[in-house]
Amino acid sequence: MLLVKIAWKNIWRNKVRSFVVITAISLGLWAGVFGSAFVQGMMKSKVEDVIQTEMSHIQIHVPKFRDEYDGSLYMKNGSEIADALRAKDQVEAVSERMISMGGLASSRKNGMIKLVGVNPADEKHVSDIYTKVIEGSYFESKKKRPIILSEKTAEEYGIKMNSKIIFKMLDVDGQMTDIAFKVVGIYNSGNPMYDKMTAFVKLDQMRQGFGIETGSNEIAVWLNDHNQSETIAHDFQDKYSDLEVLPWMDLSPGMRMMIEAFDVYLYIIVGIILVALLFSIVNTMLMAVLERVREIGMLMAIGMTKNRVFKIIMYETVFMTMIGAPIGLLLSGLTVGYFGKNGIDLSGAAYEAQGFGSTVFPYLDIESYINVTIMVLFMAVLAAVYPALKALSLKPVEAIRKI
Amino acid sequence: MSVIETNNLTKVYDEGPIPVHAVNHVTLNIEEGEFTAVVGPSGSGKTTLLNIVGGLDRPTSGSVKVDGIELSSMNESNLIKFRLEHIGFVFQSYNLIPVLTAKENTEFIMLLQGAPEKQRTERVMQLLDEVGIVEQANKRPSEMSGGQQQRVAVARALASRPKFVLADEPTANLDSKSAENLLDLMLKLNEEEKVTFIFSTHDQRVIDRARRVVTLEDGKIVKDEKR
Repeated sequence: MLLVKIAWKNIWRNKVRSFVVITAISLGLWAGVFGSAFVQGMMKSKVEDVIQTEMSHIQIHVPKFRDEYDGSLYMKNGSEIADALRAKDQVEAVSERMISMGGLASSRKNGMIKLVGVNPADEKHVSDIYTKVIEGSYFESKKKRPIILSEKTAEEYGIKMNSKIIFKMLDVDGQMTDIAFKVVGIYNSGNPMYDKMTAFVKLDQMRQGFGIETGSNEIAVWLNDHNQSETIAHDFQDKYSDLEVLPWMDLSPGMRMMIEAFDVYLYIIVGIILVALLFSIVNTMLMAVLERVREIGMLMAIGMTKNRVFKIIMYETVFMTMIGAPIGLLLSGLTVGYFGKNGIDLSGAAYEAQGFGSTVFPYLDIESYINVTIMVLFMAVLAAVYPALKALSLKPVEAIRKI
Repeated sequence: MSVIETNNLTKVYDEGPIPVHAVNHVTLNIEEGEFTAVVGPSGSGKTTLLNIVGGLDRPTSGSVKVDGIELSSMNESNLIKFRLEHIGFVFQSYNLIPVLTAKENTEFIMLLQGAPEKQRTERVMQLLDEVGIVEQANKRPSEMSGGQQQRVAVARALASRPKFVLADEPTANLDSKSAENLLDLMLKLNEEEKVTFIFSTHDQRVIDRARRVVTLEDGKIVKDEKR
């Protein structure tokens, strides 16, 4: 208790210095948490976007279909597979799709886009693209051959609502077919790279274009728990061994790599913050020790063991950490909470071009909160070890010069 | 009975080009209840001698025994414990713990010794009474005069019931009245409580009232006068 009391009183001897350490710990913790929350929020929204808009949790194709979107590579029994999957407990929804890469021509531009044929009622359960329609509607129109284009495609090709467009595609036999569509909706998913390539039509009309009546070349599956995607995809793969079953992480090229890279960024950010914190505390505590050389020498002279001197210095840092950490956590909680709700607008930072949303909503799971906090606390205590050892290296006779 | 016995005690500093014999073959016995002043010009070896006797420094050769126990062969942690149990220190610039009150500073040594609370409280109040600063018991060093602080330092030195008290120029930072009062106090403790004092000093008033004066020059005892 004596050492605790002295250490506690010591930290209030030089309020400015203690304030510097407490502030360093608070800001270090805040920066660590907020930096992590920013990166995690960015990644989370990217993952959610990818899953909800583009990928769903699991997709099933005929092997090699995704290489060139070859129309002849389709699942003739697609509907049976879809029904079988719907019956599974882990599966919340299933949607069949027919997809074709084909030519879109307008007076302004000729180019390739990916036309996705969907059953709107099923699709709504595996993709939120229907919520991203900014003009017209998501297949609610009575028009005969409706198509929904992205705002970006409409702009690039100079296409307006209710315009008629011609899409050139190959049927299952490799014959070129022209299909006319009427624009009934325009969407903006927030991911320009995705928007630039993708348009939606109805499934049966795509089947007509392919010259088939049943079947599909993509089955999108929505699970109850997206964390189970890999495990369940693996199970499905075992069951449908002649098909290719992939979880969302493996569907987007580079997605897995990007998630792992972001984890590394996270460690680098937290690492830099911790090193800065370490030096700040070492510096300040060293000053605190060197200022008290005579006093520490006196303590050892009159009979205080080195172990006790070491403890006093460590307690001082622990106390300041105990004050700084809750402040830092409170600050983190408030800022992560606020920006997590309102978002941070980064529209000028060119993240959109890389497929990220323009607004980042910082988010940190409890586990990461705890990890960052433990790392900061550990670092703060570690930082006190050197100054404390420095105190131990003092020889009483030299420290006080004279008895 | 000897409280301190040194035999051929030598301390050589050979850090510079020429080795310096700070203490040169000093043989000295201090008996229980003595009130001894170690005097001599600056650089005569007073401080080094007291440092070695107080277990704060080690001799190059020779032996130093406190209460019959040889100090030169003790390891660092045993020396710290030994100092705590056997020696009281009074420093020239008081060296109290600035964040503790007079009472807490006095109690500090007993806390390190692990003395029970009741015993601590009784002893501390008795000591503060003896040194005449009961009224300052709850004041911090910064709220007290130099003389008052040195009185607390004396109380702290006595709190552990040491075999002897080592004092390094205890009056050097005090005005004449405070110095006189401190000297009176130390003499009173010496006479009434039989506390053994050994101190270095330049102060003629202190030297005049010491019962034994050991004079050092160039690390050697040149005069040892008992009165």
